[in-house]
Amino acid sequence: MIIEGAKNVVDAARITRDQRGDTSFSGILSSAFAKILINPSYRIVVLALGAPVTIFVYLYYLLNKSKDSYYALLEETRDQLLQAGLLDRLKEEIRQQLLYKYSFFGQKVSQRELERQIEKLADIRFREAVEEETSRKLQTGRKQKLTFTTAFQSLMEQRMFLLLSFVPGLLMYLLILLYSNPYLKYIFERFVMSLFVIFGVSVLVFTILYLSPMNPAANILGETATEEQIANFNHVYGLDQPYLVQLWNSIKGIATFDLGKSFAGNEQVTDTIARKFPITLTLTLISLILAIIIAIPVGIISATKRNSLWDYTFMFIALIGLSIPSFWQGLIFILNFSIKLHWLPATFNPQNWLSIIMPTIVLGTTLTAAVARMTRSSMLEVINEDYMITAKAKGLSRRHVLMKHAVRNAIIPIITVIGLQFGGMLGGSAVTEKVFNISGLGSYIIDKQFIPDIPSIMGGVIYTAITISLVNVIIDVLYAFFDPRIRTKMKQY
Amino acid sequence: MTETRIQPSGKSASPGFSAPLVKKQRNPESVLAFYMLLNGILVIAVSALNLFKPYVADTFLASMFGLTLISLFHLIILLPVIRYTKRGGKAPWVPWLAGLLIATAVTGNLFALLLGLNLLVKHRGQDSLAANRWADVWAKLTRSTMPMVGLAFIVFLFSVSICSFFTFDYAMATENNYGAILQNPSLAYPLGTDNFGRCLFSRIIFGARISLIVGFFSTLLPVVIGGLLGAISGYYGRRTDNIIMRLLDILYAIPGILLAIAIIAAFGANTVNLIIALGVGAIPTFARTMRANVLLVSTFEYVEAARALGAKDSTILMKHIIPNSLAPMIVKSTLTIGAAVISTSSLSFLGLGVEPHIPEWGNILKLGSAYLESHSYLAVYPGLAIIALVLSFNFLGDGIRDALDPKVN
Repeated sequence: MIIEGAKNVVDAARITRDQRGDTSFSGILSSAFAKILINPSYRIVVLALGAPVTIFVYLYYLLNKSKDSYYALLEETRDQLLQAGLLDRLKEEIRQQLLYKYSFFGQKVSQRELERQIEKLADIRFREAVEEETSRKLQTGRKQKLTFTTAFQSLMEQRMFLLLSFVPGLLMYLLILLYSNPYLKYIFERFVMSLFVIFGVSVLVFTILYLSPMNPAANILGETATEEQIANFNHVYGLDQPYLVQLWNSIKGIATFDLGKSFAGNEQVTDTIARKFPITLTLTLISLILAIIIAIPVGIISATKRNSLWDYTFMFIALIGLSIPSFWQGLIFILNFSIKLHWLPATFNPQNWLSIIMPTIVLGTTLTAAVARMTRSSMLEVINEDYMITAKAKGLSRRHVLMKHAVRNAIIPIITVIGLQFGGMLGGSAVTEKVFNISGLGSYIIDKQFIPDIPSIMGGVIYTAITISLVNVIIDVLYAFFDPRIRTKMKQY
Repeated sequence: MTETRIQPSGKSASPGFSAPLVKKQRNPESVLAFYMLLNGILVIAVSALNLFKPYVADTFLASMFGLTLISLFHLIILLPVIRYTKRGGKAPWVPWLAGLLIATAVTGNLFALLLGLNLLVKHRGQDSLAANRWADVWAKLTRSTMPMVGLAFIVFLFSVSICSFFTFDYAMATENNYGAILQNPSLAYPLGTDNFGRCLFSRIIFGARISLIVGFFSTLLPVVIGGLLGAISGYYGRRTDNIIMRLLDILYAIPGILLAIAIIAAFGANTVNLIIALGVGAIPTFARTMRANVLLVSTFEYVEAARALGAKDSTILMKHIIPNSLAPMIVKSTLTIGAAVISTSSLSFLGLGVEPHIPEWGNILKLGSAYLESHSYLAVYPGLAIIALVLSFNFLGDGIRDALDPKVN
């Protein structure tokens, strides 16, 4: 009803816009509007966002619909086609088709049933033909059928209407503008997705902790706690409320950075997390940068000197790096470099920059290994492409071919792996932090899990997941700018 | 995938045609037989170390005798098997021999099982596609050394885990013995003793069992669940796909180890919870792998043909699509078992994994880390065991990937 013929309208709008060379604000707006209405989920959102304007335009559309020349034209075409005997021709054609079909499948159908089917199919086909013919006539006559979309578009092109509807329909116009630019649309959609993921993570983690058979009240108050004390504890922390109320409070708390006080230690959960998170993040980022600096050249060397001694050595070390448990690696480092050689301090101390060396290496080992392996395989895939031979045949230097043609094309899957591993590192830092006695977010979560201190664990896990989601959004958006293939794909849809 | 790749290999029915195409190679059966024998001898040797202990398990002598007999049997059949595989053709005794070999696999010697299956496949002939592919994969896998060494170590640990029920004394690994606290490695205690006087060597041997069990089941769970979800989502597409994959995105956003910590915090630290906690986190990756494969396989002609023949959706999915998209799942699960072994020991090290009284590698390391300065071997050896096992799985995974990859030939 509303989107009736919206597709045709888009084409028509494109044609008229191209003819007029219309790049004005209202022109962009109206063509994007026609496009946005085709997409079912966007349609609902856009119409709901601009509800006051939408209702007004709908009324306007109803008023003008009766005056539209389209219906008269439709009637006229119908008569014309009837007189030309199109309906009879269609019926004959369909009868043949049906008879063939039934004889092929060996089915028996009564005469009445056959007639009924012919009647039905012919009617549908005839109506389609009439509508097609009418819209063809309209287009040759430079007219458009009045639909809700075209009504909206014609109104939008009037400056007066735009000005008046700007305030009530601001959100709707913003969304339409977003939609008109493929980059903005992509980034917007990516953000909506990650909002959904963050919401889902919150629900999931809260539900897991809610289902817990553990009794934090008894764990904190001790075995001697009376029933009343436990009930009082549960009341203070809202643990006696129904599931949905608690869930709502938690989600509100996550969004407003106020998760209340932790069960043990009487501290604001979000304050503690904010104090501990920077350490974890710094550690992770340093390891990440270190890993990339080491791994990518190693991967490139391995790929260019395939099956050489270098390649075998590097890949063997990388495989060991993947297989080594980080806590054990940490212990061995402490044993050798702190206890035996006294080179580096065994525990982390923010004042001493030497103390961060071992944790970063331990945390970065897995990532370095994974990125080096990925770089190698990705480079190997690229190195045999035709364009590499072309580049060599053009007489480009080996270095130039590698850097400009191979690495640039191989880097995309490597970035993906880095993005994925970043999440693993943020989570895995819990173990490293415990080994080196760093008071970061990971060790905080582990310390709190024995009670279990529900708000602290939930906050720690969810804020980590949020950070990872945001990093992945940034990586995805960066892709869109770096990779011309993704850029073209984005423009097409 | 499989249908188009029927290529002559060394064991093809028409040797005159295939021989020039294939370079000289060891045949898979002799390699398997060699590793089978080696594995049996290693297990006997490791179990024999118990002879130096003050006392041995009640079933020690009987089971050692049994193991020796089985190894002798393996030794005796070595030559006939190699001769048969070189010569080819039919021999009526092959199914019986294969059956006996498969029966000896109860000691955990999976090479015997593999050799038996390979012989059976060979005996039946090369007419079926599945048999052809099986032989092809094994021919490639046995050709490369590192994956076989990895597989050998995994099979060795598996056999030792099974045989240790009879040849090792569990009390050695769990009962306190205050007469022998923190002793350095000796013949009676090959890797020394810990602060409760328990034999570190026995503890590591018993720990292999837990690591293999947790690693296997925490991979099986996501392979089955994730694989099914991915297959459904890839086959039905559109809305089903969207809903399933978006829900799995949520799971994907939480780092595996943090999700495991949250689940264990909620439900308590024990082996079953550990398996579930590690398994749940891996569901999305398996679902994604399966989905990508199913999307690819669904476009092949034989799927279309099955649909044209009027097969039901469920039949197409179960009989045609899933079997043909399993290859990357096998590779991924081999690598995931390795990662799960690391996660298991990491969580145990933090006190979040296996119950502390069970000798598990992470638990042993946790105790050992307290004696890092004075008795560092307590922390070094279990770590080496973990690395060796994970490295083996990684080698094997890489090897299987190369063997299954049609591009690498």
